[in-house]
Amino acid sequence: MNLEKRAASIRRRIITMNTHAGAGHTGADLSETDILTALYFHVLDIDPDRLNDPNRDRFILSKGHGAGGYYCTLAEAGYIDEAQLESYLQADSLCPGHPVRQKTPGVEVNTGALGHGFPIACGLALAARKSGRSYRTFCLCGDGEMQEGSNWEAAMTASHFKLGNLVLIIDRNGLQLADRTGNIMELEPLGDKIRAFGFTLNEVNGNDPDAVAELLEGLDYSADKPHAVIAKTIKGRGVSFIEDNPAWHHRVPMGKEIAMAIEELG
Amino acid sequence: MELKDQRTSMVDSFIEAVSDGIELMVVVSDSTSTSKIKPFAEKYPDRVINVGIAEQNLIGISAGLALGGFVVVTANAAPFLVARSAEQVKNDVAYTNTNVKMMGLNPGFAYGSLGPTHHSIEDISMMRSLGGMRIFTPIDPSGTAMAVGHVLKTNGPSYVRVDSGVFPDLPDSEGFRAVDDPIRLSEGGDITILGLGTSAHAVLEASGILAKNGINVDGWGIPSIRPLNMEPIRKSVKKTGAVITVEAHSTHGGLGSLVAEFLSDEGMAVRLKRLGASEGVFAPASPRLSIEKKFMLDPVGIAEAARIM
Repeated sequence: MNLEKRAASIRRRIITMNTHAGAGHTGADLSETDILTALYFHVLDIDPDRLNDPNRDRFILSKGHGAGGYYCTLAEAGYIDEAQLESYLQADSLCPGHPVRQKTPGVEVNTGALGHGFPIACGLALAARKSGRSYRTFCLCGDGEMQEGSNWEAAMTASHFKLGNLVLIIDRNGLQLADRTGNIMELEPLGDKIRAFGFTLNEVNGNDPDAVAELLEGLDYSADKPHAVIAKTIKGRGVSFIEDNPAWHHRVPMGKEIAMAIEELG
Repeated sequence: MELKDQRTSMVDSFIEAVSDGIELMVVVSDSTSTSKIKPFAEKYPDRVINVGIAEQNLIGISAGLALGGFVVVTANAAPFLVARSAEQVKNDVAYTNTNVKMMGLNPGFAYGSLGPTHHSIEDISMMRSLGGMRIFTPIDPSGTAMAVGHVLKTNGPSYVRVDSGVFPDLPDSEGFRAVDDPIRLSEGGDITILGLGTSAHAVLEASGILAKNGINVDGWGIPSIRPLNMEPIRKSVKKTGAVITVEAHSTHGGLGSLVAEFLSDEGMAVRLKRLGASEGVFAPASPRLSIEKKFMLDPVGIAEAARIM
């Protein structure tokens, strides 16, 4: 199955799961889907059969509110049973509202509060360098999340320790909880800021899984500079009435919207 | 009697751990002098990481290093560890259950005149409120070595409160101790006095003062908060019917609270006086001894509190 079809399949799972649960961060889930597809079906050297392999690549979903998209990707990739998606957000579910490593196979870190995943990713990348392991560490942050100061503390560290085995991917959909990022707290010139912190800067259409995969495959992981990818995305990508609409940050399709969304996703 | 900075004991334990084969990584935040880490850094330069003045990052990086397979120690001043990095401690260490051991250096009023920005009188309260966090409050150099050695060999998050004060080993230090057992300071039937961490030394001295006045103290040093063997405390309080807690911490959320909750849960109606920074106040920016005197944490103050009771 090609990456685009995988992404479409994951999106259908997201709509089904969120509507079944009656809640979820639908906009964020659909925004990140193509990035997760590229990672889990092309880039990451990991496998459901070797969850504790010390040499596995590491992925951290720092934007923990994108848990729904993450679980659907993990289900698509065989880490969790499809049936578990039906328990999303229910009591004692293996798929809680934010990722929990003690619950969900494949999850590395408990995220949900923003600005935590990237410093941890830096620590993982540094651990690889210190222990001579060749695994790579990928961290996906929301763009609004880059307003957290802790990310910039970590960015200094990544550059200082020359962590070329680390990739910060920013899901740049331009929206945060309340409004457009530029209206809340301007991030631009985001690329210049990241470059100034000592990263190689890459920009990509984050809703094109093939382009994301190709870009990540081409990075030099033995380099002495950490990598950053600004992945330009559309929040709610794939469902026209959800796309680029702040109202869908924490909303799920209801009534006729469900069938309309599934139909649009083919 | 040999006096030793407890941080020196801590660093000695780090060196011993590496020679025992523990894959240790020590993370500091420009706190190389605060942590007295130099002897370790000279021996194992690749095992010290300095993240700069960035305490949130200190904890995040440490959690990542732990997930990457290392036993990780953080070593910086307690006020900038616990309060500044509270959410990282909660999520990245406690909730994610990473193998990070946090050394809270120079806690309580150790920084004296530098004032409340540098005091750490809420660290135990905050740590106690977190799931999965073990909390140790060593009393003397030997106890520090024991607590640090213990946490390095025990999987999961821990907090060790390491006072910068210079103290001798308690008289019984040659004998057997468990890391979470109260240590007897004096034996008596009139009143129980519990000293948290290095406050045990003041309790020991206060017991001597009170003995001269015919008041016999059942004195105990408390080397941990969680886990803590409460049995000796229960027996002592049952015998004396009155208890004083002494701690370089707020009376809110520390040893005093722990004992009050225990007595209440157990239905033990006894008199309790909690000595520490009074509920709801900052300690003044004054020398350590002056603050201890103000809050009756010095031997004379403890003895006075006992007489009043």
